[in-house]
Amino acid sequence: MMKRKDPPGGAKDTQGRNPNPRNNKRVKVQDARNIRTQPSDAALEDGKLDLNKFLNAREFEIKALEKSMNKCKAINATRVFQMVPRAMRRRTASHNVKRVPKRLRAQATKEMLDDNTPTVESRKRKPRTTRARIRVETMKRLRYLADKKRKKKAKKAGDGTTEEVQPKGTSIIKTRAPRPKIRRNMLNEPPKADSKYRKRQINKTWLPTHLWHAKRATMTKPNSPLWRFAIPLTSTAKCYRPTHRASGQKGVVAWDVSYMSTIGMYGTADCLERALRSLGLVQEGLWNARGKKWRAGVRKWTGTVSRQQKSLRRDIGPATIVWNPQPPATTSDEMETSNQPKKPQRQILIRTHPSCFLELFEELLKLAKSQKPQLHVEDLRFEIGSIELVGPGSTETLLGVLEPFHQTPEAAECHATVFRSLAGVTNPASLPKDAILGFSAKDPRLAYPPKRIQIPSGSEQTLLKTLTEWPVEENLKPYDIFDRESRYQASRMPAQKSINRRKGANAPGEAIKVTAADPPIPVMLLASRSGTDGQAQGTWTLLAPWKCIQALWYCLMHYPLTTGGNPRLGGLEEQRQIAFEHGLPWFPGDFPATDAGVEWEREQRAKRRGDWDRRPKSKRLEWKSLDLGAGRKGEMGDGFACDFEYLVGLAAAAAGRPDVSRTQGASDAVSISDGAAEARVGDQSVGGQSPAGTIRQVTKREFDALVRLGGGDKPTPPPAGAVVTVGLEFVARGVAKACARIYRLPGRAKVEEVRAAAVASTQAEVPATPEVKTSNGLPVDLREQWLAKVPDGNGKKKGAAVPRMPAGVDMETRKKILAGSLLAVEVPYPRPAGGRNEVDLGGHHPLCPGEEDLIGFVTTGAFSLSEGRGAAIGSVEVGRALETLREMGGREGRLCVVRNAGESVGWLARWEVV
Amino acid sequence: MTWFNGSLFLRVYLRNSKLKLIHHLLSISPTFSSQPLAQNPRSQSLNSPIMVRLKDRYLLVNILYTDLPPSQPSSSSSSSSSPNTPVSDLLRYNQPTTTASASADLKPQTLLRDIRNEITSLFGDCGAGKVNHNLQVKYFSPATSTFILRVSREHYRLVWAALSFMQSFPVKNGRPCIYRVLRVSGTMRKVEKETIRRARLLILAAKEELKGRSSSDSLGALLRGDSTSQQRTLPIVGGQDVDSASEDDMVED
Repeated sequence: MMKRKDPPGGAKDTQGRNPNPRNNKRVKVQDARNIRTQPSDAALEDGKLDLNKFLNAREFEIKALEKSMNKCKAINATRVFQMVPRAMRRRTASHNVKRVPKRLRAQATKEMLDDNTPTVESRKRKPRTTRARIRVETMKRLRYLADKKRKKKAKKAGDGTTEEVQPKGTSIIKTRAPRPKIRRNMLNEPPKADSKYRKRQINKTWLPTHLWHAKRATMTKPNSPLWRFAIPLTSTAKCYRPTHRASGQKGVVAWDVSYMSTIGMYGTADCLERALRSLGLVQEGLWNARGKKWRAGVRKWTGTVSRQQKSLRRDIGPATIVWNPQPPATTSDEMETSNQPKKPQRQILIRTHPSCFLELFEELLKLAKSQKPQLHVEDLRFEIGSIELVGPGSTETLLGVLEPFHQTPEAAECHATVFRSLAGVTNPASLPKDAILGFSAKDPRLAYPPKRIQIPSGSEQTLLKTLTEWPVEENLKPYDIFDRESRYQASRMPAQKSINRRKGANAPGEAIKVTAADPPIPVMLLASRSGTDGQAQGTWTLLAPWKCIQALWYCLMHYPLTTGGNPRLGGLEEQRQIAFEHGLPWFPGDFPATDAGVEWEREQRAKRRGDWDRRPKSKRLEWKSLDLGAGRKGEMGDGFACDFEYLVGLAAAAAGRPDVSRTQGASDAVSISDGAAEARVGDQSVGGQSPAGTIRQVTKREFDALVRLGGGDKPTPPPAGAVVTVGLEFVARGVAKACARIYRLPGRAKVEEVRAAAVASTQAEVPATPEVKTSNGLPVDLREQWLAKVPDGNGKKKGAAVPRMPAGVDMETRKKILAGSLLAVEVPYPRPAGGRNEVDLGGHHPLCPGEEDLIGFVTTGAFSLSEGRGAAIGSVEVGRALETLREMGGREGRLCVVRNAGESVGWLARWEVV
Repeated sequence: MTWFNGSLFLRVYLRNSKLKLIHHLLSISPTFSSQPLAQNPRSQSLNSPIMVRLKDRYLLVNILYTDLPPSQPSSSSSSSSSPNTPVSDLLRYNQPTTTASASADLKPQTLLRDIRNEITSLFGDCGAGKVNHNLQVKYFSPATSTFILRVSREHYRLVWAALSFMQSFPVKNGRPCIYRVLRVSGTMRKVEKETIRRARLLILAAKEELKGRSSSDSLGALLRGDSTSQQRTLPIVGGQDVDSASEDDMVED
């Protein structure tokens, strides 16, 4: 057996060469590093200086150095798998040539042979674990059985007659191929998985592109699927900054969001209206002339749907609702034949998040049954899949992949022509708000690989015209994607094998002609804007039959963008990241007032607790001994949680008794220790019984109304347990993480009270102390301390200006100034009494306000690449927020202190309702 | 300042030097207050026993001769007698390195020995000990009078200082010359690139001269390589080395 490091043939070399292969290598390296030189004579002509010789000498030098540089580079121990671009590198490429791209494979094989790399061949690998061994044995047995069966069959076919193949009693009647059942008013089964993969999908469903994603992304754990799906969480490659770039500046990020649930509903228009109204779509704008386009089916509606829960309304989650356009008016003779003029049936699609699907579906069922005539609800979860695209190249990508399906130009659908004319759009937000395009597309595999689209010159004018006029309403037809039959037809696409065969018959590079075997794919494109401003990148959502998503995705991922590169894949993390960078809350994580949000929060708590439990005791945070300064010990509420229960409890207690006593703070530790038990019994909280279940979401509009109302003499009481989602932006330093605590600045009025009380007491009894403390031990001027941290307009801190070194002074003066400044600082002697962090943190940072000033929690927080500073999304309790706004006005009232859970330092931020 | 450097040096000394002759310290410490020898405290902190990576600096040095080679007829004396034109500045300041006996060309070892001697005389055994273990001539081209030295990163200034003090070529009755450090770099590659760049410029200048468009500007001939735009010129301020991992080369003349 040869040693790995020894190159082959090193030992058998006996003729004069160095027997030690290492020395051979050394000689080689030395040789490569040696640079050739000329003697001095080369630059002299008979001992005299000469210009030509001088030239030659320099040229020789250049050549020698260049050669040396090349040789040095060549001698370096680089391997071919290191040449592969980052995205294509695989860890196993160092010992498995199959992981190297094909064009480098031969070289890699040679290198591995030269280097004596131990390689493995999966075919010859022995199973190591017991489980694997059993699996192999089962496989062997199954193979044997299948073989036997096949042989039996062949034998039968060999000596059997035709009658046996066609048994008696069967008539030759052509029947419709069975299509999957869609049961009305019931949940539907996920598509039956391939038998090879069926066992892995017992508790979950795979996305249509699962196999693709499983190789390129971190998926949810097999035993803990998310919302009953195996969902890609994030790309295996590093992608935080590339995603930021691709989504905003250059490129595309694409998601397979087939896990989003689609619900169909049909019935008469007014029944549907009534049902939707009771889902919370009560704005009159939707049902009067302004909502005509939406009801006609050329716009979508996106918003939060809610349900009635006793006397209150509770949010379910965000949903998108699309109406199917009505078929063009029927001719008069048809009207006559149907003697009884039936009310036209309308169809709608409701697209929602899987985490709130069941809640919405049950609510819809209830509503549908209560209507007269009854509505029908269809669960279209596994019928319609979707892909989402964000980025400047998203429109271009879609144009490159979706070719409208029509044989003649006259037969072109109106929406398809509008779609084709969108070449040059870099932001779907520039389309009319909530635009929809529904048409039929060709199988994208026919034109695989997709080619870069050509933007026709001088198309800007026509594009502008299209965008302003948006001619989608002329001869509007029902969208095919609503039609079950066309969806079914589309999902019977020809096999990849047959496509390959047809392609082989074609000339290279030529697109395959559409035949009768190629069904049109009904697609629907939804353009949505993110946020309120039109500048942010919008999103394209492509709805297509579930079975067509895979083909579309493969082509999409190979589209060559004009800006270079291909679309990037995104996971759940990237979706959160982009929502965060746009300053938008992400469902369900940032919606703590919905059942789905509560459930998410519970899972996150359990996860954080699990992570904490796994750490050794010396390396994990001891919540009880967290020093918040001024004698406060221990984290407020559960450190693993956005503890709205705690906050709501505090608020309720404050409403009952004016001052919250410290005894409540002392019970924190108890609540932490039994937090695990709470998480375990948390199942009940989803029902809405636990405090987390009672918190209620207040929209921006409602909050603004409350603020406006509050201007009067008698402030209206805010709804109990109401929270409002806010976006936070740090004014100077600081980055928040999830679970960070949000405090308001301590109140001014209270300070005055305390000061007056202190003055009164000092007059009566003890001599005045310079420092006055409030009842909970915090310094009186805490508010001023925090306000001093607010940078003024130029981005400089207020407060005491740090003396700057004057420009252009020499070293001696600098030293003098420095020494002077060091001596000038007066350190009080003896040090002020009291423990650490009594008055402030480390002598320069103000303390965090007390728990009476806790207003909310951060649900998502990070350094925002789009803002260039820390940002966060959180929820604040409405009552306290309103109080602060009224007391301190809109500007100062929105200042808050954000402190990460488990840390004692808070940072100043500003909140804004989103 | 002197005391400060001395104490710093003491620490350096105890850590680095294998020589245990403390009395040298006393004789050397005044020398250490001179500018080029100020040690960078950052590079010292990197010199921990855990960090075993060796870091080098490469110096590109050019030998400048002020006189003409002995075989060259002096232009001033024989301007009338000799048929050829006086030697141009370009050739004059870029002479090859010749020795008296043409048969034995100069060896890099000779050069190295001389530099070591110079360091010993300037900085004593301690200075020499610091530098010697790593000093090497990577390239020496007599035809173009260029050589590349490898020095350890922390002490390249000692070598530079020694080169500045050397005044003649290291052979018996060597010609007077100046050692001009053209480039300090962290990689051999960059030094080679710089050499090529300079050689190219000289070739261009020589070709112009061949065409007869010679501007006999002595300063121009001397600074031919530096006159063009230098993108990355890092000046060395007040004796403090801008020494860091990211910085890989600097230009100084």
